[in-house]
Amino acid sequence: MSAAPANMWRNAARNRLVLAGAGMLLFALGLAMFAPLLAPEDPRRALLATTYTIYAAPDGQHWLGTDDAGRDVLSNLIFGARVSLTVGFFASFISVAIGGSIGMAAGYLGGATDRALMRFTDVVLVIPDLPLAIVLVALTKPSLFNIILVIGLVGWTGTARLVRAQTLAVKERKFVHRARAVGASDLRLITRHIFPMVLPLLVVNTVLVTSLAILEESALSFLGLSDPTNVSWGQMLNYAFSRGATSSGAWWALLAPGAGIVWVVLGCTLLGYGLEQILNPRVKSHHLMRASIPRISAVQSASPAEAEAHALLEVRGLSVDFVAQQGTVHAVQGVSFSLRPGEIMGLVGESGCGKTTLILSLLRLLPAAGRITAGQVLYHGRNLLALPEAQLAAVRWKELAIVFQGAMNALNPLLPVGRQIAEAVERHEPSATAAAVAQRVGALLEQVGIPAARGRQFAHQYSGGMRQRAMIAMALACNPKVIIADEPTTALDVIIQAQILELLNALRKELGLAVIFVTHDLGVVAEICDTVLVMYGGVAAEYAPVNAVFNEPQHPYTHALLAAFPDFSRRHKALVSIPGQPPRLHALPPGCRFAPRCSSAQALCHAHQPHLLRVGADHYASCHLLQPMLPAGSPLPQPA
Amino acid sequence: MNTALLEVRALHKHFAAGPAGWFKPQPVVRALDGVSLQLQRGEVLALVGESGCGKSTLALTIIGLEAPTRGTILFNGEPMQRSNKSQLQALRRQMQMIFQDPYESLNPLMRVGEIVEEPLLVHGSEPAPTARHARVLRALEDAGLKPASEFAQRLPHELSGGQRQRVVIASALVLQPALLLADEPVSMLDVSIRAEILSLLAALRAEHGIAVLFITHDLSSAAALADRVAVMYLGRIVELGPAQQVLHNPQHPYTRALQAAVPVANPRQRHSRVVLQGETPNPAQIPGGCRFHPRCPLAEAQCKANDPQLQVVDAGHSAACLLLAPK
Repeated sequence: MSAAPANMWRNAARNRLVLAGAGMLLFALGLAMFAPLLAPEDPRRALLATTYTIYAAPDGQHWLGTDDAGRDVLSNLIFGARVSLTVGFFASFISVAIGGSIGMAAGYLGGATDRALMRFTDVVLVIPDLPLAIVLVALTKPSLFNIILVIGLVGWTGTARLVRAQTLAVKERKFVHRARAVGASDLRLITRHIFPMVLPLLVVNTVLVTSLAILEESALSFLGLSDPTNVSWGQMLNYAFSRGATSSGAWWALLAPGAGIVWVVLGCTLLGYGLEQILNPRVKSHHLMRASIPRISAVQSASPAEAEAHALLEVRGLSVDFVAQQGTVHAVQGVSFSLRPGEIMGLVGESGCGKTTLILSLLRLLPAAGRITAGQVLYHGRNLLALPEAQLAAVRWKELAIVFQGAMNALNPLLPVGRQIAEAVERHEPSATAAAVAQRVGALLEQVGIPAARGRQFAHQYSGGMRQRAMIAMALACNPKVIIADEPTTALDVIIQAQILELLNALRKELGLAVIFVTHDLGVVAEICDTVLVMYGGVAAEYAPVNAVFNEPQHPYTHALLAAFPDFSRRHKALVSIPGQPPRLHALPPGCRFAPRCSSAQALCHAHQPHLLRVGADHYASCHLLQPMLPAGSPLPQPA
Repeated sequence: MNTALLEVRALHKHFAAGPAGWFKPQPVVRALDGVSLQLQRGEVLALVGESGCGKSTLALTIIGLEAPTRGTILFNGEPMQRSNKSQLQALRRQMQMIFQDPYESLNPLMRVGEIVEEPLLVHGSEPAPTARHARVLRALEDAGLKPASEFAQRLPHELSGGQRQRVVIASALVLQPALLLADEPVSMLDVSIRAEILSLLAALRAEHGIAVLFITHDLSSAAALADRVAVMYLGRIVELGPAQQVLHNPQHPYTRALQAAVPVANPRQRHSRVVLQGETPNPAQIPGGCRFHPRCPLAEAQCKANDPQLQVVDAGHSAACLLLAPK
């Protein structure tokens, strides 16, 4: 919800629950305000004994009949709204003011103040509200003022706990730390930084507290603890109940005030839930969340004869779209590459360039909104995109395994790490005995440099580097031929990173693993990769052996990336940054994706998208300014 | 001799790590275990080390968000701890901090102009609204956000990561500080934007003479920006000296290990290197003797027994290792 509160009110106007709830409450408020104009009779008017009938059924004169004293129920209902809303409004104001202050003070000050305030809150919380209110109202005079005060004073505990929790969360956010580092006073931190972030939650809470206060008032009045000079819905129920409405069949005398209470409380609840929906929108689908059914359209089947002779994995003209609210987004367009056994390919690019989308689509793990619109993924000559889901499941993990970004979140915190690796082994070798599985898990752990005995430990007992090793062990569980590693070293320190790189390099040599290494760190690429695919804005900018990319880069973007990279080995190198921002996928430039930031862009570059050209032996780049190598060898398949 | 802009003397910061048992003393994490350093006006000192070595704690203690357990911090020769509140505010105005995460360090509800204006309001340094507004715009421009008047109206979520970090820098610049404490200011940013922020910091130093304590775990960034480098390991500085010397002629075995682990961005210079094995020990259980000895490839018997202090190995270059001959 970091950016949400600013839009909260705009979204509120579009939320149906909010509109319904607010409408119901406004209607009740209208009744209360204009009661003397709307009500056919004044409930406080003295009636002459001869002119009324008690419990008269609804008719043209009394739309909702009359009560035990012969008064018009409709008029009572309308005037009763005044008491309910007055109590609800003022009592919730008191509750929220007390609870908010206590919660804010406890959350912000922390320590002993927090403990003292929260113990006090707990004590008040365990005393049941209603009996306490009954006692307090009975002891004082049951006037409207006293009722408001009592309900307000007993109803603040929930607010206090909520506000404290939110204050604690906001207090630890970086921008509050920053403001404190600037030297801002406590008062300023609270009023300017913390309170505005707590406010939306407080508004939702206030609405719900209001409905509780209204219910409580009705309960008190029903028990006879109401201000006798004012008609209230609870009081109407009380009189009807105790003065024979049930025995005389006067359902209207009970139904009308009941409906009034339900109306207002329901209005509050709908409004509260609606506001809460806006505040905490449940994400329907994250763009990297997997869909239940992978959707593929326009996939050609390939004959194995077309596949490159030695390629283990070959990707041809792969395009992926995301169907979003703002329209279709071309996340990946016409990307091709091939991977031989034992080869490490670096997949390089800035955030949002389509790296993760590309690797997810290789195994058809795209989220619901993702569509593979063109291309082939040939594994041993078989097109994975055309395989039925059941056959693909056999390839996934067993032949191609993924090591995901963020090893901390990818391990189950409640299972020992060894157990999780065992699960991966068992799923693919169901016939293996328990002893064989245990032995295999031990061997896998040792292979990635973790003592087998530590398999009994949990993820939180592992350091960051060990968790990443465990993830690699899990990926190795089924002897895959290809490992796709998504930023496996990004969050790690330099020494741990070097250890992981060394491990991957050793595994590649021992097991002949092919690796797709996704990273934005050019140093890592130079260190470990054989070939490099540089992506920009969803397309391949350059694809070449690692030496060519670093020593004879062709694409201006690759040039710029290398110039911007602080190279430790070259002293006194001036850093040259790339002006502008990486393109956003929903607003791609019409021509070359890099043209807006390219220092040598020409009119052609802004108008037309360049194709991938063969510019050297195994060297491809997509730039209008490059000359294709004339003796055309075997160019990569071009996207249609 | 001129007084240093910032001087830290034997600074200790201990945190309680969990409750004390009935029969065991309270476990203590020694996040800072005797750190001393000096920073001159207009100098960039890079503080490098792995996560958990105490780099960030040092910055938070210097700026006063954490209270030191022992030791002294002098700013312009004045001790920070003994200052009363208004003096402390005056000192604080001269040192500003830049945090790591530009996505989290801006209040999402405030406009860029308000964010940059806040330090001026807090310190009451520019009471007149028009003059204050002009200073806000100047700071935005100094941080490379042009046109400044347009950026001042934006909300943080409308900005890219690099632009957000520029806003953070602008709000640090607006008070015209003498010292910036930059805690991993580029590690969350993309490569192309990283260079942009590093160049901005270098320009600020050149044009305004602002000193920077540049905290990073990335030796390449340190090499690009720093005049001097301090290497931290488990709460202590183990090597300190001119950037070129420390990074390209390291004396301490830990600095050598760090240097060897940096990937070289040239596939032709791929070397078979010795990667330091194991991981940084838990700072609640700092090894006795030299704190690096359990991982050190050169460790001898004396390293288990004696705790080395920083000793000069060359002009302005010192390292804490028992195996180095003092000069």
